[in-house]
Amino acid sequence: MSTFQLDAQAKVIVQGATGRMGRRHAELMKHYGTNIVGGIAGVSVRRDDSGIPLFDNCQDAVAATDAQVAITLVPPMDVLAAVTEALDAGIKFIVSPSEGMPVRDAILAYGRVREHGATWVGPSTPGLAIPNRMKLGFIPDVSLSPGPLGVMSKSGTLSYEVCFRLSRRGIGQSIWIGVGGDPVKGLRFAELLPYFQNDQNTRAVLVLGEIGGSEEEELAAETVRLSFSKPVFVLLAGASAPEGVTMGHAGALVQGGRGTIFSKTTALQAAGARVFTSIESLVHGVVSSDV
Amino acid sequence: MLLLEHDAKELVRHRGIPVPAGIFVDSQSVDDMQLEGTGAWVVKAQVRAGGRGKAGGVGFAESVHEVADFIRTHANASIKGQAVAGFRIEQKIAFTHEVYLSFVIDPAQRGVRVLFSAQGGVDVEEHAQQQGAMLTAVAAPDEASLVAAASALLPKLPAELHQPIAAAIVALAAAFIAFDATLLEVNPLFVLADGTWIAGDMKLSLDENAFSRQPELERIVRSRPKVYREANFKLDHDFDYVEIDRNGQIGLLTTGAGLSMMLIDEMLQAGRRPFNFCDVRTGLLRGSPTRLIEVLKQFTRGPNISVVLVNIFAGITDLGEFAQLLLQALDAVPEIRVPIVARLIGNNFAAAKTLIEQSGRPITVEVDLDQALKLAIEQAGVSA
Repeated sequence: MSTFQLDAQAKVIVQGATGRMGRRHAELMKHYGTNIVGGIAGVSVRRDDSGIPLFDNCQDAVAATDAQVAITLVPPMDVLAAVTEALDAGIKFIVSPSEGMPVRDAILAYGRVREHGATWVGPSTPGLAIPNRMKLGFIPDVSLSPGPLGVMSKSGTLSYEVCFRLSRRGIGQSIWIGVGGDPVKGLRFAELLPYFQNDQNTRAVLVLGEIGGSEEEELAAETVRLSFSKPVFVLLAGASAPEGVTMGHAGALVQGGRGTIFSKTTALQAAGARVFTSIESLVHGVVSSDV
Repeated sequence: MLLLEHDAKELVRHRGIPVPAGIFVDSQSVDDMQLEGTGAWVVKAQVRAGGRGKAGGVGFAESVHEVADFIRTHANASIKGQAVAGFRIEQKIAFTHEVYLSFVIDPAQRGVRVLFSAQGGVDVEEHAQQQGAMLTAVAAPDEASLVAAASALLPKLPAELHQPIAAAIVALAAAFIAFDATLLEVNPLFVLADGTWIAGDMKLSLDENAFSRQPELERIVRSRPKVYREANFKLDHDFDYVEIDRNGQIGLLTTGAGLSMMLIDEMLQAGRRPFNFCDVRTGLLRGSPTRLIEVLKQFTRGPNISVVLVNIFAGITDLGEFAQLLLQALDAVPEIRVPIVARLIGNNFAAAKTLIEQSGRPITVEVDLDQALKLAIEQAGVSA
């Protein structure tokens, strides 16, 4: 797996560009400033009225446009095929927003991504954005503003709300990456830490985590290992989720006493992060910390 | 989604996994039960949780009378916080070894982890603390890779276990892949005197995202609407809904899993009891109030709900259209008479606010989430 990096000018193709969602979001992304250079058409749709050139497949699209990035706006059962097609066409950065991808497919997709030395964000994510420059996915414009926070989040809506409030108080984002709510994913919190360490525009890191899995604990360990020098603010959701019940996100599941808020809070605090349990206390903590 | 032991065993039995013959009995069918063999039997309460044996959910019986007694005394029990769904009764197995063997998705390694130990049984977790007691490896999610990774660990087991465990690995790896499992744990895995094996207890968790290619899974979910309630809801309505507290005071009609979880946390921090979790996904309403109606119908089951909190952060959704759907949904479920706090933010807010205010319904429109939460919490307190 290559280290995470994203060029705001990168040429992007949209897989599933002619579906109901795909068409709409392709236009919204383009409007936001993303360098959308082409779309892969669905079955038998050849109409080109969105101003985005359509191609039969990734191979053709990459040959014609030299695209480096793909976003897969396809149904969850088709994500593995879409990721594979993009990789085979030479794409090195793929974002998969779809919710509901089978976990076995996600493991297989990740294996192929790694073989190709590519980067994969998702699945089950609103995507990522560099405010005022580009977005790959659905992050609402109203929550985006340029600023010092490197944001990474398992949840879409929680990050919209938090970043909306922070933006209104004048604190925006250097980059915003939704890692997604599924257990098996392309990028995990800890894997983004070296990027935030080196990125000059990032002065602090905002983490929106939740119950389930071990990503927050791994992040804590990586923070220590890298001697991460920037402030880390964390909001954790799901403290009150009943054990054994999946809370919407497939990964948000406490089982056998693992994945609890207690375990995550303890690990992160020991690593020097500031951990919050309500949106307003987090917002206040960030605003009053002079980042 | 974790299956009941009984459902798991009946599912895998048809794929060549040896399990003790068993029947499912509940307090209704206990008088007519036809037990297999002559005993002794083991009677196991069916709950979707581990640690059942230590919590008193497993009994041994020498006679039909003792089986019935155990069932009658445990039928209304709560084990690991769950109501007992019924009992699986099996013949007691005479074994020479209890082994632990499992395959589980390992998200951090993005693979399947295989774990086994020559010392299985209820104390496996304590045994696992000892250095080298639990053998483990990670493999790609296909049958051949799982078998290869697990078989490579075999030489570390005592020789008399090699043959039965090798057979178990092949059968269980195939089932794990075939059913899109996220966990398949056999503990204890009994090794018998004749060198064969049989699955004593089984935990099988299946990937709900693979439903569409697993018709058997849907059949199981449909067969027990009470046990697999959330999965049934999702099959019917295609969004997530979880009842959290039957006596909860605040009904949540909200979108977004992470934000809804956070709201629940904040309500509890404020000393109020939320009724449910949900993620209606306003982006997928497609001009129909159906999803909103389904959630409101669920609220009619909550005797203590005294306020409904609506939260819609509309990145793209048109709030005017949403307000119309909300009012239609409320017309369709007239039992909902409690005050509603609607936090709406995004496109076309003004139109939504006007529509709602003109409806004359007891709905407070709020743009600020903290303020909306505060109003809901106050309202829940008034009626508490």
